[in-house]
Amino acid sequence: MKKKTIALVLAALMILAVLSGCSKGGSSNKTLNLYTWEGMFPQEVLDGFEKDTGIKINYVTFDYDETMLAKLEAAEGGDYDLIIADDYIIEMAISENLVQKLDKSKISRIGNVNPLYQGQFYDPSDEYTVPYGAGVQTIVYNPDAVSIDITGYSDLWDPSLADSVGIIANYRVIDGMAMKVLGYSYNINDLDKIAAAGEKLNELAPNIRVIKDDFLQDDLLSGEISAAVMYTSQVTQAVMENPDLKVVYPKEGIGFGIMAGFIPSKAPNADAAYKFLDYILEPETAAACFEWLGYYCTTAAADKYISEEYQSFLTLPDSIDKGNMEMIENISAEADEQHSLVWTTFQSLCG
Amino acid sequence: MNNSMTTAKRRNRALALCAAPLYVFTLLFVLGPLIYMVILSFLTRAEVWGVVNEFTFKNYADLLQPVYLKTFGESLKLALLTTAIDMVLGYAFGYFMARRPPEKRRLLLLLVMVPFWTSSLMRLYGWVIIFRANGTLDTVLMGLHITKEPLKLLYTYPAVVVGMIYALLPFMILSVYTSVEKMDWSLVEAARDLGASPAKAFLTVTLKLTLPGLLTGVILTFIPSIGLFFVADILGGNKVVLVGNVIQEQLMKVHNWPFAAAMAVVLMAMTSLMIFLYRKITHVSELEGMV
Repeated sequence: MKKKTIALVLAALMILAVLSGCSKGGSSNKTLNLYTWEGMFPQEVLDGFEKDTGIKINYVTFDYDETMLAKLEAAEGGDYDLIIADDYIIEMAISENLVQKLDKSKISRIGNVNPLYQGQFYDPSDEYTVPYGAGVQTIVYNPDAVSIDITGYSDLWDPSLADSVGIIANYRVIDGMAMKVLGYSYNINDLDKIAAAGEKLNELAPNIRVIKDDFLQDDLLSGEISAAVMYTSQVTQAVMENPDLKVVYPKEGIGFGIMAGFIPSKAPNADAAYKFLDYILEPETAAACFEWLGYYCTTAAADKYISEEYQSFLTLPDSIDKGNMEMIENISAEADEQHSLVWTTFQSLCG
Repeated sequence: MNNSMTTAKRRNRALALCAAPLYVFTLLFVLGPLIYMVILSFLTRAEVWGVVNEFTFKNYADLLQPVYLKTFGESLKLALLTTAIDMVLGYAFGYFMARRPPEKRRLLLLLVMVPFWTSSLMRLYGWVIIFRANGTLDTVLMGLHITKEPLKLLYTYPAVVVGMIYALLPFMILSVYTSVEKMDWSLVEAARDLGASPAKAFLTVTLKLTLPGLLTGVILTFIPSIGLFFVADILGGNKVVLVGNVIQEQLMKVHNWPFAAAMAVVLMAMTSLMIFLYRKITHVSELEGMV
């Protein structure tokens, strides 16, 4: 009798093992293969989705957009059901036919998306993507350590800020500051104008204390620098830590980037992806997501659920509309190389 | 006689078999990527993403722009400076360590090795804490009334140099230590007996006998130091632009892979040339046989 029980248990375990093998391969429609950066969703939201739908989330992460695209290429648009990445890389993925058109009828809450973040360069007629969070270029500074009133990029050139400005190591964003000061668009292909912006940028070198992508907010908080141009998530962290910091929407115009979700062309379980996209568009869930993520809320219907303390840096003030905002788009190879030359020249002048 | 030869042959064959996986590994994972990199450096960047198979010298021509040439100079300067300082510090410490009694020697060796058990990035962040405004060093210096206000040491060239020296010092210490430890001290005694002053005995006997260790240490320090870009990144605030930084940037942000490959090829050629000249001048390969 006992032996029989053991045999039964073993048999059941073996069947389970075989089944779990299936779901790993992604063929089961009970798994969502979600591919994005680490820490994009609060655990409650992921758990809530699994509980509500019975779909298990297989959360796979990448560090860089570039790694994601390389893997998606290798998988020929398969393996993953939903990918959330940056705008420019999505444009590349779409141009390589690795993304499938969305069936909007499967996303009942698509109307909740803020139109400000729709119809952008990477997906002009919103056929492929659903935005999830936006990075908005602002200037953050510590009013106690800065003697001037910063209202735009041009103020960063002020001699009183000598050796006290921190910037991210993103050449298009930083070259872009000089472009904006000169009144250019971020996305011009005119090499002479980019070079002119380089000349302007070089004059900023004496004010630069540090250039880095990671933990720049720590330098602002510790007093190593007094003003910074950094990524939105860093701004959020800095302001949460020190509410006295001032966040400025540069008067020259506002650059922004969008993270968006898309379904790869050969997603094994696109239905699960639709369900998830719909789930995170639910206003209260979305509000919880953006508070966790620290990026600007792209789901307009969620704006009012974002708590008071986050309002000022997760939602845009009413004065800002598409007219004074511009995305950084992919430009011609020559223009891009000119930008990187301008950037390296500037960088070495800072030392 | 005949018999022993066949044994030797058989042993050689067995050895070759044992080494075969290593050869295959080297071919696949060292030579393969290397060839790929060289080929890549002659291809054309695609307009959107990746490369197209069009042969070009453009990537090498682009390298000639002064700002990129300067990064080679910067890398070389920093590597030479790091190696020179490490030579002095590493020799002194390695010598000192080898002259301790065995049990103390083991303890010192352990102290040199322990930092290797943690990530080098973590250790660099340790330096950030020491150097940053109102950090450890500032607190100590201001507490002792040596300085009055924060020194702003972080994100400066000296901070980068300190980080580089620190990261590579163990390689120098260990190379010097092994050759000092193996040295026959009776030769120094003989020199002293024959009337050499301590300084002369050191210069003519000790230094000469331990030179192989020192020169090996130079190679072990110089090669990594020329490519170590994250020190300049973390401690230098990216204001010292090294070849490694540009390669990484071109690869990950600009997506100009062929240009990054061309830079890597030139860097590798430059390093190989330096090593070749170094071996020619110092005869280090002959000295290595003496160890």
